[in-house]
Amino acid sequence: MGAEIVTVSTDTKFVHLAWQRDEKELANVEYPMGSDSTGKLAKMFGVYDEETGLALRGTFIISPEGKLLNAEINYYNLGRNIDELMRKFKANLYLAKKTEEGCPAKWKEEGDKTLRPSAKLVGRVHEALSK
Amino acid sequence: MTEFCECLACNVGATVPDFKLETYEPTKGDFGEISLEALKKNKKWTILFFYPADFTFV
Repeated sequence: MGAEIVTVSTDTKFVHLAWQRDEKELANVEYPMGSDSTGKLAKMFGVYDEETGLALRGTFIISPEGKLLNAEINYYNLGRNIDELMRKFKANLYLAKKTEEGCPAKWKEEGDKTLRPSAKLVGRVHEALSK
Repeated sequence: MTEFCECLACNVGATVPDFKLETYEPTKGDFGEISLEALKKNKKWTILFFYPADFTFV
C-alpha cells in the first residue's frame, strides 16, 4: 500500500509487547506499535489529554514529503472506521498523481467522478457530477 | 492579539517536524524504532493512529 501505519499510545513498548501477546484480537497485527510515553508526539499533534495523560483517538495522514494532509480526532467513546480511513488515504494517493483534480464527498475509489476547479465549474458542480 | 493553536491538528497542510518513536514490532517479536525522516527517505506515506491505552478497546 506504500504506507506505514503506526499505532501510538502513551504506553511503553513493554506494555505494547505484553498486550499484543495477550490479546487474541491482536494476534495478526503487523504494524509497529509506537510508544509516546512522554506524550510529546501526542502534544505536537494536539491529541494529548492533560487530565488523563492519555491520547485521544487521533488519525493523521502524512505524505512522503512530510506534509500533514488529514487530521481526524474522536473522543474516547467513538471508535474509528477503517473504511473511512482507507477512503481518505486512497483519495490522497490519487490526488498526489492528479494534482489538478479534487475528490468530491461521494468519491470512494479511482474511477469515481472527480472535479477540476475552474471558472466553468462555478455554480455547475451538480451538472459536472451528473455527467 | 489573537492566539492561534500551533498543534498539528489545527494546521493541516503544515510540514510535520521529524520525530522518532520507540516501537514494539509484532512481526519480529522485537523492539524497534521508527523515524519520520527514514520513512520520508523511503518515500513512504505515514498514518499515525493514536489511541488512549493498551488493554482497552481501540
